[in-house]
Amino acid sequence: MPSKTETPSSPTGASGSAASGAQSALVELVGAKKDYPLGRTVVSALRGVDLVVRRGEFVALAGPSGSGKTTLLNLVGCVDVATAGTVRVDGHDTGRLSEKALTQLRLEALGFIFQSFNLIAVLDVFQNIEFPLLLQGKLGKGERAERVRSIVEKVGLTQQMKQRPAELSGGQRQRVAIARALVTRPRLVLADEPTANLDSETGERIIDLMRELNHTEGTTFLFSTHDPKIMTHADRVVHIADGRVLDAAAGHA
Amino acid sequence: MGTFSTLVRMAGRNLVQGGRRVVLLGMAMVLVSMLLVLLDSLAAGLEASMVNSATTLASGHVNVGGFFKVTSGTASPVVADGPKIRAIVEREVPELDYQIDRVRGWARLVSERASFWGGLLGIDVEEERGLRSVLQISEGSFDALKQPDTILLFEQQAKRLEAKVGDTLTISAPTMGGVNNTVDVRVGAIAKDVGFMSAINLFMPKATIRQLYQMKPEATGAVQLYLKNEADASGVMERLRPKLEAEGFRLMDLDPRPFWMKFDTVTGQDWVGQKLDLTTWREEVSFLLWILTGFAALRWLLLGVILLLVVVGIMNTMYMSIRERTREIGTMRAIGMSRGRVLGLFLLEALALGIGASALGAGLGVVIALSVNAAEIKIASDAFMAILMNDQVYLKLTVDNVVFAVALITGISVFAALRPARRAARMRPVGALHQVG
Repeated sequence: MPSKTETPSSPTGASGSAASGAQSALVELVGAKKDYPLGRTVVSALRGVDLVVRRGEFVALAGPSGSGKTTLLNLVGCVDVATAGTVRVDGHDTGRLSEKALTQLRLEALGFIFQSFNLIAVLDVFQNIEFPLLLQGKLGKGERAERVRSIVEKVGLTQQMKQRPAELSGGQRQRVAIARALVTRPRLVLADEPTANLDSETGERIIDLMRELNHTEGTTFLFSTHDPKIMTHADRVVHIADGRVLDAAAGHA
Repeated sequence: MGTFSTLVRMAGRNLVQGGRRVVLLGMAMVLVSMLLVLLDSLAAGLEASMVNSATTLASGHVNVGGFFKVTSGTASPVVADGPKIRAIVEREVPELDYQIDRVRGWARLVSERASFWGGLLGIDVEEERGLRSVLQISEGSFDALKQPDTILLFEQQAKRLEAKVGDTLTISAPTMGGVNNTVDVRVGAIAKDVGFMSAINLFMPKATIRQLYQMKPEATGAVQLYLKNEADASGVMERLRPKLEAEGFRLMDLDPRPFWMKFDTVTGQDWVGQKLDLTTWREEVSFLLWILTGFAALRWLLLGVILLLVVVGIMNTMYMSIRERTREIGTMRAIGMSRGRVLGLFLLEALALGIGASALGAGLGVVIALSVNAAEIKIASDAFMAILMNDQVYLKLTVDNVVFAVALITGISVFAALRPARRAARMRPVGALHQVG
């Protein structure tokens, strides 16, 4: 189990001691619940989820629309906090972190890939990918440029570096999003339906790319999908329905 | 530095992407900035005209005038020993550019067809270098006033009296002894009007007025000090008061009114002999300062309404922009952008819009003001001429006014953006991302 020590000002500082080794838990949900008030009623999006994702895994979350995949990713991605239960990311109980510490944890430890790409329209490919590095403020201009060029090369967008998102195809945009998610070398990349807005061929290529980066960079991936073909690429598939993990064994594989 | 330059770049590009909405708002801000520069220039021009008119015709920057009372119930605007005061001024006022003294009086000027009451100002043409440089003689010669019993009229006075150069007019004035004296004067020059005050001031040689009032040669009306910098006037006046008292002169209490409004007060006081009265040009034209005050009030009222519209416009534009960019805000927050930086991004957009639009507007205002001055537009209405104290539209541009306009509009932009920007910064990333998906 990771340490419960929380350091809001430097949330990622405990990661090394919290869990070392390739098979240690990077994400752990214990009885995680999420309720949303809807008028006078309360909608339970997650009804007590237990899940462990280990370092280096390539895990798919599968389930129909409304099953709770996105809510689960939101909790793991520290953009939301659980109503009850524990969500531990990189050794930190997210329920105990301040807004500032959650932001810092997202910046330092997590990468996001969105279904609709969510690139910043006014920045070109290079600038979009460089953006998280700028927010981190750790690297100089030269180092940033080198890091960005390296990742751009890996996603095959060297020729598009100066283009804006509107000038790219859907597949190219998602490649930019992947590069942006990976450029800070995060410990975990979360992807919410990363292939949903792409044709099947492009979607396959994107998943292949994610898988390749999972192997070469050792980055942990947790992504949601309802496409059976995409699921075949995963180390394991966690099935979720009505806010519960159906296959408990898969959840603790 | 890298983050800041990226945020600046994003702010600039977001403004460009804002399209027609931002363009319309920017144009409104350009217009407001331009209007602000023009209004300020008009106000500064009005004040400059007032200073010019007042200090040319009726006052120095600082005046050492006073009253002489033969009995407690009478008063004359006379300084008995002008040369002594001039010597003190020369010694004690290093800020002095030059000084003159003028004999003062109040009399009726009569022609064959009309008459009016006016303020007599006895001058020495040789030392009136300020008056000589400002007056534009349309008929006759300023040097004609070197001859005794001559007078300079302004065009509107000449028009009222139906007089021209060479005509003889009669001046009738009550003397200190209580009887009326008259003297005939010849019109030596007619000058173009110098604002409102040229309606009532009549210039003639000192000797003529001394003759009219039977005054001694060393007696004068007021010593007028012209300083190198008009802004020093109040300080010089304050410093001069104790110096004159130390020289044995009695001083009147400070009274911020022109000398001709003080007769009733002075005649009601129980003293005789000489008392000096120190004033600055502002006191001498205080009866006209309502014009400046009124103009300033009108300016702020107008600006208040316009600025309110700008504030509403900016807030509306920012709220719309934030609504349209909710997903972008959610994305930036999700990938680790702090609330402070989100706030900063939107404030930067307002700052960029404010600086760009206000600088353009101020620039246009400067160009228009320079063009108006170059065109020498004459004021057709006598009423406006009186209010503006000038016969043509004059916009006085100052760096301070231009900087003020840019700073004010930029500041208002950022201020107006504060609330929407805070709303953007406070968005929960999950909510912002959810809203689109």
